[in-house]
This record gives sequence, C-alpha cells and structure tokens, in this order.
Amino acid sequence: MASARFETRRLTSDAMFVVCTACAIVIVTLLLLVSGYLVWIGAGAINLSFFRDIPTGDVANPGGMRHAIEGTVILLALAAAVGVPLGVAAGVYLSEYRHEWLFAGPLRFIADVLTGVPSIVVGILGYELFVVPVARWTSNSVSFSGYAGAAALAFIMIPIVARTTEEMLRLVPRTYREGSLALGASKAQTVLRVVLPSAFGSISTGIMLALARVAGETAPLLFTALGSRLLTRDPSEPFPSLTLQIYTYATGPYPEQKKLAWAGILVLLAILFVVNLLIRLVAARHASTRLGKS
Amino acid sequence: MTTDVSAISAAALSPNASSGDARSQHRSFRLGDALLGLVCRGSAAIIALMLGALVLVLLTSAMPAIKQFGLGFLVSSEWRVNELERPVKDAAGHVVMEEGEVVMETIKPAFGALPVIYGTAVSSLIALVVAVPLSLGAALFLVRVAPTLRLAGPLSFLIEFLAAIPSLAYGIWGLFVLAPFLQSRVGPAIQATLENVPGLRWLFYETVTIAGKAVERPIPITGRDMLCGSLVLAIMILPIVTSVSRDVLKAVPRTQIEGTLALGATWWQSCVAMLRYGRSGLFGAVMLGLARAAGETMAITMVIGNNNQINPSPFAPAQTMASLLANEFAEASEGLHQASLLYVALVLLVMSLLFNIIARRLVVGRASPAGH
Repeated sequence: MASARFETRRLTSDAMFVVCTACAIVIVTLLLLVSGYLVWIGAGAINLSFFRDIPTGDVANPGGMRHAIEGTVILLALAAAVGVPLGVAAGVYLSEYRHEWLFAGPLRFIADVLTGVPSIVVGILGYELFVVPVARWTSNSVSFSGYAGAAALAFIMIPIVARTTEEMLRLVPRTYREGSLALGASKAQTVLRVVLPSAFGSISTGIMLALARVAGETAPLLFTALGSRLLTRDPSEPFPSLTLQIYTYATGPYPEQKKLAWAGILVLLAILFVVNLLIRLVAARHASTRLGKS
Repeated sequence: MTTDVSAISAAALSPNASSGDARSQHRSFRLGDALLGLVCRGSAAIIALMLGALVLVLLTSAMPAIKQFGLGFLVSSEWRVNELERPVKDAAGHVVMEEGEVVMETIKPAFGALPVIYGTAVSSLIALVVAVPLSLGAALFLVRVAPTLRLAGPLSFLIEFLAAIPSLAYGIWGLFVLAPFLQSRVGPAIQATLENVPGLRWLFYETVTIAGKAVERPIPITGRDMLCGSLVLAIMILPIVTSVSRDVLKAVPRTQIEGTLALGATWWQSCVAMLRYGRSGLFGAVMLGLARAAGETMAITMVIGNNNQINPSPFAPAQTMASLLANEFAEASEGLHQASLLYVALVLLVMSLLFNIIARRLVVGRASPAGH
C-alpha cells in the first residue's frame, strides 16, 4: 500500500520534472524562433545603402534610414543630457540621504511606480506638456519637435537611472564612507570622490541599460517627435527616429519599405544585444574582482 | 554634524595649518555639502513632480470628458467621433415622414470606454493564462535544474536579452509571421473542428443588424484579432515573468528545500513547497506581467485588428486602451474626442499604477534578495 503511494508520488514527480523542462525548452525555442526570424529576414534586407541613404520618396527604391539612425542618436543624446544627471543625482539622494526616511522611502516607491507607467501615456504627457503649449506660444497649428520626443524619453530614463544608481551605491561598503569621513573629508567630497567613483562602472552599465531601453521605444515618440523623412539636425522640428520609421514602413503597404523595416529591426536588435553582452561582461568582471578582494 | 566632526578632524590631522585655514576649509565644506544636498534633493523632488505632473495634466485635459460622461464613461460602449444624422423612426420601426420629407435627428458624438477596457482585460488575461504556467515551469527549471547542468548563466542571459527586445520587434513578428500563420493554418483548423460543436457557434459567427434585421454572418478570420494580440502579449511577457519568478524562487532559503527533502518529499513536492513559500512574490511577478501586458502599445496595435467592439469571439478584431490611443490620438480633433482619449489614458495610467503598486509590494516586500 505504502509503496504504491510512493510509486505514484515518484511518478508525479518525474512527470512534473519533464513538464518543467519542457516549459523551459518551449520558452527558449519560442523566443529564439522570434528573434532568429527577425535576424534572418533582417540580414537579407540590410545593405550599405541602409546606413548611407535617406528616403527618396520613391516607393520602389526607398533609399535608406540614415536620417532615422542619426535622429535616434540625437534624441538619445538629448534625453541622456537631461535624464542622466537628474537620475544619478536622484539616485544619490535615495542612497546617501536615505536617513531622511520621510522623503526617501516614498520617493523610492514613486520612482518604482514611474518605471511601470505605460510608455504611450508618457507620449501623451509629452504632447500635452511640450507640443500643445509650444504650438499655442508660437501660434502654429502643430509643433511636434525633437525636444518633446527627447523629453518623453528622459521621463522614462530618470526613474530607471535613479533606481539603478541607488542600488549600485548601496553596494559600496559602508567602511569606504566612514574611512573618507574619518580622514576629514566632507560629505560632498565623500560622495563625489569616494562613493560615486567606486560605483562608476556599475552606474554606467545602469545608464547603458536605460539608454538601450529607450532606444527601442516607439510609443512615447508618436505624438512628440512624430517622425520625419528628412535628414534634419534641428530638434525644434518634427524629428526622425529609427523606431518611428520602422513602424511607418512596417504598417505601410510597400514591400520595399517593409524590407527596410526588417533591416531596421535587425540594427535595433544588434545594438541591444551588444549592450546586454557588455553589461554582462562588466558585471562578471566586477563580481570576480570583488571576490578576489575579499 | 558630520561637517563639524570632519572639519575638526581635518584641523587635527594637519597641525601646521593655522586656525584661519581650518575655518575657511570648514566654510567651503559647508558650502559643498549644501550644494550637493540641494542638487540631490532637487533631483529627487523632480521624480515626485513627474508623477504629480502626469496625474495632474491628464486629469485637467480629460476634464471636459469627465464632466460630460462621469463614471458612466467606463461602462458605455458608444464610440462615435462625429455627429450622426439619421431618420427618426416611430414605435413600429417605420421612418417618420412629414410634408413629404424624412424627419432627421442628429445624434451627438458619444464616447465610452467599455470596449477598450474589455479588450485590454481579455487580451491581458488570455496572455497571462498562456504565459504564467510556462514561466513558472521554466523558473523552476532555472532554479532547480539548470545550475546542475551549468545552464543557468547562459539561459538567464538569453531571457534577460529577450526581455529587452522592444515591443516594436514583437509587433512586426506578430504582424508578418504569427498573423498570417493564424489566418491560413490555425484559424481554419479550429473552425473545421469546432464549428459544428453545439454551443460554440459564437466563436465563428456574429449577429449584426442590417437594415433593421438581425443577420448572422461569419466572422472573417484575418489573423489580426484578439487571439493574435493575446498570443503576442503572452510571448512578450514570458521573459519578464520568468526572470522575476526565478529571482523569487532563488530567494527561498535553502533550508526550506532541504527540510522538505529530508522529510521524504519528492522533487516535485519540494518544488510545490518552494512555490508555496514564494507565493506572494510569484503573485507579484504575475502582476508585473499583467501591468506590462495592459500597457503594451506598439505590438498590440499592429496585431489586434483595431476595431472598437465587444465580441466574445477570439477571432474577432478588438481594441485595447493603448492601441486606441496610438490609433486615434494623433488625428483627434480638440474637444470632446481628445478629452475622451485622455480620459482613457487616465484610466490606463491608474490601472497600471495599481498593478505596479501591488506587484512592488509583493515582490520587494517579501523576497528581496538584497534585503536591507
């Protein structure tokens, strides 16, 4: 009797072991299938003209996406110029001023909550805050602009950078701070010359991660940067972005433009892959040096 | 306090420095500290301001619609952007004529969010039903099997990379690969099997009113429908739910597992014990997946078919809150239409904030591996 029950238990266990393994295999194959397909088709569509040319207006021979690549780079630079200093400073507050529990706790919570705001809602906020007022001010009917797009991206970046900076600063041993203060350094000197530099590597990976995240965003740009087919470097105009251009081409009717969309996706994926790999490597080196020290 | 102590110690460490030097150094220390405090506190305040601005701006811009429709907006399924003229009908359904002319009535534009709330809820729920069991199984594999096979590192990297793939990429895959596949293979196959099963006719037929008569007509299977949208969402939330569940399960103390094994539990029974131990964190992982699915925009816009209707069939096109915004916001005229869209955005924001707050509380509250 008892052995029969044991037998069933063992069989159930074995069956569930197989099920769990199958789940992992299904997920990995499914996701590899998706990304593999994107890479495969993208590789067939990409060529030098993609990086070199701008849209021609001819649907049979649509040119390239140079304008969109440059646009994305400029948007990211603008977003980072605002988002990184603010995010890092807020992260320093959350970590180094956390004894101000009345504010630090709720602010951490708010930052967490902000990372979960749907990106389309951020886009709409950007529209209401930067596009509508500017249009009213300059009495244009519309004033979509690269600045509005960069602001929307910065909005997404700030909470992410703040939270990763905080996490990384918390990993800096307390003894570093105490040592610095004991040597007569002020709090500002301690934070700027000891705490931040010793977490520099991991904070910059956090920033890279945030940049990679917003590089793939489309929804916040729909109603702010709007997209453009011109090679423009003036962010007060409607501004091109890789993701917006991919979306326009992919949902459009022309096969040649769709090919460009596939190529664009490949470029995006390649960037993300490299960033993730770099972060992985840096994290691994970090872990090993820390182990070596202790 | 800190500055005082450090200034004194600095003076003590450099006995040759005159007291004037120490005082000026002291002053510059105080200035530096004050500046740093100002910058950091200011930046932190901006985070609070961001949330405030988000809620405030959406609330004020949606005000016209909130005033006009109130909470009834959430349960109304009208979505008429333009004024509509139609002939007045009497009780018998005949067109009313007066002096040889058809009497017309004007129907004002009306807006209601029920179809998009329905679309968001159903697509997210189907996505969860598909994704959560798979993710939990895979998370158990990652925590309990993969390390012994030296697979944990590469698999984790893979899943984290896939979590970083932008939704645009999943959308394009859904649009060009999954939707045609569902249209040409899966849809017809399901229809052939289930069409004649009694009670399942609603899957494939809809009843519409044409010229006053109720007509039953087949739903064309286009592949761009609720089913496709839900499946793409499911694939998109797999990585995040898996990786958060993995972290939660990893945080289960080893002694718990060893204890169950020592009591004679099988592999699976100790897994169940792990799942039970981490249940609130796992629920948090599910909520994070739900929040992501509900707020997802680009992928769903490309594959769900974008039709503002409530149709129980998974083969009918639908619309979610996010896809409605992506589709209509750019073209909406100022006024009630735009205000209604902003009302939808506000509902979406409140909903996803709620899911996120619950999720954070559950995941961070219990199973934080980097405990304080």
